[in-house]
Parts: sequence; C-alpha cells; structure tokens
Amino acid sequence: MFYPEYNKTFAMAEFQDSLAQSITSLRAKAEEAARTIATTDALEKFRIEFLARKGSVGQLFEELKSVPPDVKPKYGKLLNEFRIFVDALYQSAKTKIESTSAETDTFIDLTLPGRGLPLGTRHPITQTLDDIKSIFVSMGFGVVDGPEIEDDYHNFEALNFPPNHPARDMQDTFFLDKDVLLRTHTSPVQIRVMKERRPPLRVIMPGRVYRNEAISARSYCLFHQVEGLYVDRNVSFSELKGTLVAFARAFYGSSLKYKFRPSFFPFTEPSLEMDITCFLCSGKGCRVCKQSGWLEVLGAGMVHPNVLRNVGYDPEEFTGYAFGIGVERTTILRHNIPDIRLLFENDMRFLKQF
Amino acid sequence: MRLSIKWLRQYVQFRISPEDLGQRLTSVGLEVESIEHLGKVFDGFVVGEVIRVRKHANADKLTVCEVDVRRKGTSPASVLQIVCGAPNVQKGQKVAVGLIGAVVPKNQHDPEAQPFVLSKLKVRGEESNGMICSEYELGLGTDANGILVLDETANVGTPLAEYFGLNDIVFEIGVTPNRPDCLSHIGIAREVAAILRKKLAIPKLKIREEKKSNINESISIKIENRRDCARYSARLVTGINVGPSPVWMQTSLKAVGIRPINNIVDITNYVMIECGQPLHAFDYDRIQGKQIVVRSASEGEKFITLDQKEHALSASTLMICDAKKPIAIAGVMGGMNSEISNSTTSVLIESAYFDPASIRKTAKELGISSDAAYRFERGTDPNGTRFAADRAAELMRDLADGKIHKGAVDEYPRKINERNIDVRISQVNRVLGTALVASDVKEYLLPIGIRILKNSKGRLKCIAPTFRPDLEQEIDIIEEIARIHGYANIADKMVSAIDFSGMTTSPDEFHEIRRFLEGSGFSEVVTNSLVDLRMAQMFSDRVVSILNPISKDLSAMRPSSVCSMLQTVSHNNNYGTKDLRLFELGRTYETVRKEEKGHPVPGYAEKEVLALCLSGRREHRGWDSSDKGVDIYDMKGVVEALLNKILLDKFHFIYYDSHSALTEQTIAVEKNGTYVGFLGKVKAELLRKFSIENDVYVSELNVQVLVQSDEGARSYSPSSKFPIVTRDLAFVVERNVLAEDLQRRIVKIGGKLLAQIVLFDIFEGKPLSENKKSLAFSLQLNSSEKTLTEEEVDSVVNGIVADVHNTFGAELRSS
Repeated sequence: MFYPEYNKTFAMAEFQDSLAQSITSLRAKAEEAARTIATTDALEKFRIEFLARKGSVGQLFEELKSVPPDVKPKYGKLLNEFRIFVDALYQSAKTKIESTSAETDTFIDLTLPGRGLPLGTRHPITQTLDDIKSIFVSMGFGVVDGPEIEDDYHNFEALNFPPNHPARDMQDTFFLDKDVLLRTHTSPVQIRVMKERRPPLRVIMPGRVYRNEAISARSYCLFHQVEGLYVDRNVSFSELKGTLVAFARAFYGSSLKYKFRPSFFPFTEPSLEMDITCFLCSGKGCRVCKQSGWLEVLGAGMVHPNVLRNVGYDPEEFTGYAFGIGVERTTILRHNIPDIRLLFENDMRFLKQF
Repeated sequence: MRLSIKWLRQYVQFRISPEDLGQRLTSVGLEVESIEHLGKVFDGFVVGEVIRVRKHANADKLTVCEVDVRRKGTSPASVLQIVCGAPNVQKGQKVAVGLIGAVVPKNQHDPEAQPFVLSKLKVRGEESNGMICSEYELGLGTDANGILVLDETANVGTPLAEYFGLNDIVFEIGVTPNRPDCLSHIGIAREVAAILRKKLAIPKLKIREEKKSNINESISIKIENRRDCARYSARLVTGINVGPSPVWMQTSLKAVGIRPINNIVDITNYVMIECGQPLHAFDYDRIQGKQIVVRSASEGEKFITLDQKEHALSASTLMICDAKKPIAIAGVMGGMNSEISNSTTSVLIESAYFDPASIRKTAKELGISSDAAYRFERGTDPNGTRFAADRAAELMRDLADGKIHKGAVDEYPRKINERNIDVRISQVNRVLGTALVASDVKEYLLPIGIRILKNSKGRLKCIAPTFRPDLEQEIDIIEEIARIHGYANIADKMVSAIDFSGMTTSPDEFHEIRRFLEGSGFSEVVTNSLVDLRMAQMFSDRVVSILNPISKDLSAMRPSSVCSMLQTVSHNNNYGTKDLRLFELGRTYETVRKEEKGHPVPGYAEKEVLALCLSGRREHRGWDSSDKGVDIYDMKGVVEALLNKILLDKFHFIYYDSHSALTEQTIAVEKNGTYVGFLGKVKAELLRKFSIENDVYVSELNVQVLVQSDEGARSYSPSSKFPIVTRDLAFVVERNVLAEDLQRRIVKIGGKLLAQIVLFDIFEGKPLSENKKSLAFSLQLNSSEKTLTEEEVDSVVNGIVADVHNTFGAELRSS
C-alpha cells in the first residue's frame, strides 16, 4: 500500500526531538505488528494498542499538549498524518482477515432456511367481506352497521312480515325475550338507516346474522350478510339489475354468465334471486350446483312500499332497491370449501391456506 | 310442492321437454329444485310372458324358461331363454323381466350388495339372457321367495315403469309463501298456460245428485266464530263402499309423495293436490245431532287427533264440533272420534275457508304440521270451496259407489270479494325501468286470472282473483307484470351519477388494526358468538341467554371474546398446533338496565372488541430460534405497539394488584381516562376447563373506543438537526422499585434535552447484594437549538443521578 502524503511529510521532518523519535519507533513497531495480524483477536489487540483513546498514538497526542505554541501546528499536522497512517495499516489488516475468514474459516450453508417472520393470515370470511365492500364503496355506497340483538319490530314487522305469517318460517329465529331476538338477516339495519336519514340513501350494511337451524355441512347457526340499500327518486328495477351485474362481474369476473329469477321476500317487491353459472363445473352440472349448472348468489328486490311507509317515506315520491349477499356461501364457493363448519373451527391448518 | 307432469297434463297441453318446462317455471318464480324421473330405476325391465318351462338338466332347483318379451326390432329373438331359480314360475305367467344391460336394484343373496348389471351368462351349461325378477330384486317389497307375478292383462313388451304407472316425471318446486295458489296442480297449470300461451282446462263438473234426499234434512252448519271461519261448505255422500282407490289414483298420489289409505281419504287428498283446497271427510254416522258447529275451544279442553295424540287446546283454537263434542281441529287435523273407517258408509265432505293467521297459530301451538294446515295458513281460495266439495263428491260417486245428496250446505257469513286494484302504467315503468304499454300489461295479466275492468288514461282497473291473496296493491300487480314479461327482458341499466352522500365512514375502520396484526404474525379467527350458558357465566353475571337454543352448548351470547379464544386454542392444541398468535374482531354481548341509554334495543349492550391471544413459543420455530414460551411481556409488547400505532402516546397502563377472576398478571388499558380493555395471563383453573396445557395470554380491547378519534390529520413537529449524545447509566436499586417509576423520574429530570430513553438491561445476582437489581438505561440527549457541550451533557446526567439517588436510593453502578 502506498501513502505518498505521509511519506513526504515525514521525510522532511528530521527533528531530533523526542516526539519525532517516538513517531519513528512507533511506526516501525506498528508496521511490524500489522504484518503479523492473522486473527480478529490480534486485530482487536492492534486497535487497542495503537488506536484506542488510550493507545500509543493517543499518548502522542497527549504529549502534543506540552509542545511550544509556535511549532504546535506543525507537530499537530504530523501526528494527524501518522494516525491516518496507522489507521490505514489497521484497515488493510482488517480487510485481509475478513476476506480470508469468510471463505475459509466458516462454512456457510446457504440452503438453510432464512430466519422466519411470523406470517399472519386474514380469515377467508373477512377476505370475502373486504372484497364485496370495496366493490360497493367504489360505486359510491357508504358502510353502516347495526345491532345483532334486535327487536321484532325491526327484524320482522317494519319489514312487512305480518304477525303469524308463514314468511316468518323462512327464517328460524333465536329469541332472547318475547320481542327480542337475534337478527335473522341484516335487513333490520335498512329500517334503522332509513329512519335516521332521508334519501338519497346509498349504503351497504355488512354484519352477522343468526338462524335457529340444525348445524350441518351446509348450514350454521350464524353467518354474515352484506345488505345493500339505495333509495332515491326514480330508482328502478332495471337499475337494480344493472348494479348487481356490475357487482357480480367485478367479483366473479367479467366473463360471468348470470340470470335473474323472481322470488319472494316480504320486504321487497318485485323480488329476485340472482344465479350465476356454476364456476366449478362451468354450468355442466355438479354436486355443488345440484346438477343445475347454476349457483344462487344473492337475493334482492325493490323496497316494498309498505316498508317505505313504515319508515315515513312516501312511496309516491321515493323508490328504492335492496339486496342481500351471503358471505359464507360466497366464500365456500370461491374456495371450494366442502363444509361451512370449517370456517368457524379456526384450525390453523385451514386458516394458513388463505 | 311435488308436481307430477302426468297429472299436470290433464289441465294443460304442451310439447316442450320437462327440462325446458322446469326452466320456464323457474324463470317466473316457481323454482324447480329437482326433476325426478320416477321410472328410471326400471329402465331395461319389461313385461314378459313365460311361454315354456322345463327342468334344468344339471340342477334340481333351476328351471329353463322361454319368455316372450316381444321387443321391437329384435324379432325373431323376441323369445329369450332365461334360467330361473324361483319355485313359483309357471307357464303363462306375466312376469317382470330384466333384459341384458338392465341394473337390478337389489341382490336377494346379499342385502348389502350394490345394484348389479345383468349380462349374458351360462348357468350350468344353459344360456340365460336376462332375469325374471322378484319383488325384492326390483326394490318394490320384501318378498324374495319367488318371482313377482304381474296382472294377467298386462301387455307383453310394455316397459315395467309404464306397467307400474311410473313413467312419470316429478318436479320438486320451491313455492314461496306468497303463492298458495301454486300448491296445487291446477294452480301451476295456470302458470304454465300463461307462460306457454296455452289453454287452461279445468275439469267441468256435472254433479249427479240423488233427487230424493236433500242434504238440508241431514245436516246444518252453525258458525260461531266468523272471524276465523269465513265459509263452511259441505256435501253429503251416502251408501259408500270404503276400499282401496283405483291404481291410477294411488299412483298419482304416490308420485306426489302421499301414501294411499282408502278411497275416501285418497279422494280428499287428490282433490287438495288438484285444486289446493284441503278437504276433510267425516264419518257422518258419528256426527251427533245432525249439526256442525264451528267455534273456539275452551282453554285447556282436551282433544285426540286421528294420529292418536291428545292435545290440550287453547281458547284461540278453532274447532269443528257436532251437537255434543269437538270432532276436528279446524284446518289442522281431524279427530279419532269421527275418522273414516272400513265400515263407514256415509261421508260428510268439509270444504271450508279458515283464517290463515288463526290456523298458523294453532298449528304452531300444537306442533302439528299437516298438508291442510300448510295450505290454510298460506291462504286458500274462499270462493273455491264449492268446486272442491263437488269434485270430491263426484269422485266418491264414481270410485266408492256413493250417492250424493241433493244440494250442499254452504255457510258464508263473511263474504270475501275479489280485490280491485288500480295500476298506473307510468308507475309500472317507473318501478321497473321499462317502457311497457297498456296492451302488453293486459296480455300478461289475463292468463294468470287478473281481469281488467277498465282502461283509461294509462290507468288500469284490475280485479285480482281470490285464489291470489298476495295481490293487495299496485306493487303486487307490478311484480306480476315483471314476472310474466320476464326479468331477462328488463334491461340491466346503471345510472352513473357520482354521489358521495353515502360516504360516511371508511370501508372498514378496523382495517388498520387488521393490517397491523397480520403484519405482526397474528392469524385472524372468526368464532361462534353463541356459547354454553354455564361457561358464559364464568365470564360475566350479565349474560344474554337464548330462550330457544339449538343445544346446551350454544345457549348464550358470549360476554367476552376470551371464551371463544380459549375454544380455538383448545381445538388447535388437540390437533397439534401449540404455537398460536390469534386475533378476532367481533362482538361481545351483555344485558344492561333497561333505562340505560345508547343501546338500540333497551336492556342489551353489544361491544365491538379486539381479542388477542398468544400461546406456545415466542419465536417462529427454526434452526436458530429459542424454545422460550411467550410471557406477559410479549402480550404487552404487542398491545403497546398497536396502541402506539393508532393512538401514539394517548394511553396508559394500570397494573392490578388484585387478580381478576379469569387472569393473573393483569394490566388494564386506559385512553384519556376511558377504560379500553385489559391483557393478562389466563388462570390455570380456567385453562383446565378447556383442557389446555400451555400458558395462554389474552387481551380484549374495546375497538370502538380505540378508533374513536377527535383529532384531524396529525401535525408535523421538526426533528433536531444537531448531534445526539448517548450516555448509558446503570442504577442499582431495591428489587421492588418499579422500572416505570424510575424511568418516569429520569424523564422528568432529564427535561427537554432528554430526547429518548431505553431500558436496555436488567440484572440481578452477584456481585449485587440480595434484594437489589440493576436497571440500565440508555439516554439520548439532544437540543433542537445547538450542539450540546460536554459540560451541558454532564450537568443533565449528574442531575439525574443525584435525583434518583434521593428518590429511590439508586446508586450508579460502577463499571
């Protein structure tokens, strides 16, 4: 290695004083020591001996304090340059050691797995919910929620289920009290939102609902729905269809085939159910679509005038549509999950797959 | 509702395939859930005639038969040689023959065996080209002792399905509760006729009555409860021979899932399935006092229904009584005391209209479901009672030798008229988004029985028939128009107006929390919010319990998410996963005082909570990881980081001395003085209840409080541009001095210049004396105005050292 600046300056300064002598002898010593450095321990020893605050070079700086002021700058410069020289020796030895130790001293098995980071997972139900929500939010729907513990009025009566009507059998209910129940659908949130606000109203209402049904591979005592509601002047059935098609294309893919068929919900009229081509068998018929080639994905309809009246809206002034999407059913279909109960068991071997 | 296509064809003619018909019905709202080809199981079986029988030369018990099956196109090989093992086979018998390739449902040598395919084979040297089947082999019965001998008149070569009347196709239709009219074959035929634009042919009745006997001399009707019974019609048929009904009727009933009983009961069922009106047949001779009284039961009155069950009635139960006693629960089920028996000779046919709500209430109360109640509670046609009674009477005349008494009794105290409904074409188009005109609408409505009285200025005066109780107002007619017009024929429009009025909150205010936790290695779980009541009570004394649970282990709403978490841990431990980092965003539920405000349903509180759970190893297991288990500092670290992330420093911890019932090492979290939640170690006794062996750390935080924010966007505060000086200080203090207290003091004394402090080491043991510990802090000092001098730094540090010595007796540890 070549240090031109230092050599030149040092050659010039042939002072016969003690400091210069110290530098000269220390230089020889340092050069000798640096030559023999072979291990990291020796390297560290070298650093402590020469370069640490209390090392030999540092000691020389201490001596500088006693040098007369007129020559102080010259000696200072000299010392500084010497320190740089010793440091260079150190760095050079260090580089040598590092390059040899990396290749020869340690065997690095690069096939070892990296130190793992723990990976969190999002529950498949939440993933589906998030996807559904973001599609409707991008269409300008707001998001609201409501209580799971509901009263008969919001869950049934205001939604045009007459007392003692068989339509109530469509939704087996858990009761907490005579008129208090676990909501059987997210539709009661419609009533709460409509009573609290005035049209135009465009919201989705995701949430958990309960049904008093025997638990099996196909049905669970609770599930999640995303309810949607749009009320304004002149909202039409045609627009409901358009919105649902836009949603289904965004969610299931643009090549989707679909059909609408009439259905019945007490709180909407006309009511519909939307089927899409079974994506598991491409419409050929399989176990999941019960050989029909179609999968039912959601229910919807025009908000029934009785419901509008119940919340104090004039059906002559406002019309609206509402829809409900079953999140578990959608999730099961999406991921080809054979049993709904798997979703609520939360087995890590299951959760890690999504 | 099971629909027999053969039966349907009595009322409407069509050529399209059953599959096409199914799709068309589905497209108008009558969802065809399945299509069953009844005779399919008998494909490959035909009626054959045994024309020659001889003993098998090499087997005692076998016979070699020649059977004529007269298969078309296979002549002259229409006579098959079949080896038969049955003892009863004889020349001249008509038998059921399975041809080569047919699938035999049952194997009489092995009841567990799968159906098997017939193939050509040699039985001890004799060729056998098929099989003469027993009742058992065909799956028709239990008799396996001999072959099934068919009716002498059976035509050779007839497919067996046809011989049994099973050449029918049955649809299972999901009829929605608003369409009681479609719980009958005529009702569905009407829809079919409308869709296919065919003519609907309802049977014309020509009633052939006895001239001499008038019904009025034999029975009178008295309706005491006119609200629940608007109409009661009846016919009297005498001289009846009770016996089996003819094969065609039995086949029809079986096809739709009704078990044939005798001709009288079968006729009432047949007429109900035909036109939707439930009928009841009373044994007239068991009716006392020639009188029918329709009245409400008295509370607690006992009655035995024909299924031999005794019921305690309530005052709202509508009963059919004679002069002395109740004889039927109206619309739900008849009584034992007036049931048709083999010796019955006179039948009173009841055809009534009962109030739907009343019938539903009774059926629910008594826990009885019957085909009659199912129809009454959805609404039958009050103006169809006479048709049904007459139809049944005629059939009893034809099929049971009955004599129909002249006239019918028909009490109709509360006349139910057809509804007039005004429909505006403009409203039709406004709701549907269509451009229909009056003539379209007319064309759609007439075939389904909705007549149009007047049509002026875009306003149609419609008359809805009484068999459609669901048609009450304009929107109901609009739905009919949409249905028949076809949903597919309404355009899929989307109004592209941008509207932000609905944008109230972000898509998910908890999104940030979820993302943080996922990034920190937590897996999200979604658990059942229904739990065991007794378990719930361990967590709260204000548990919301369910009046009608599915089972005991799902009998309450969880008051805490910890119980769901422990269930999840337990499940995973059982399946070998012990290292768990879990979170759930869900709700907890508790009862509150009814007066307490702020709850949507008074008396019940729902809380949105974040549950966290740690168990097992701290580190992801790997070649370089430690096997140390998690402890409270892991949980505290996660909670701190999360709170820092969403609240910055606006929270603090409270350390509990006294243990809560469920956890130890418990720490509460507060935000601006509001309780947010807690974290802690689950007590061993609780873990035992869930059979969990590892330590479990949990936290439950109220996320609503957490995400509630009154601050807007955060403001920038400048970072210092001057160098940072680091000083490490180790203090020796008594063991019970709390690290947080010491650190707070240092921060206070350090003042503005102390930019950061980290507790980086804790040490106990030699050379320190007992009851002492060393806490080492790394201090970063910094000024926003200038470079700190050595002296300034020393002055701060010395101030700190002196202060904590005075306050805590802390000694600076000598190095």
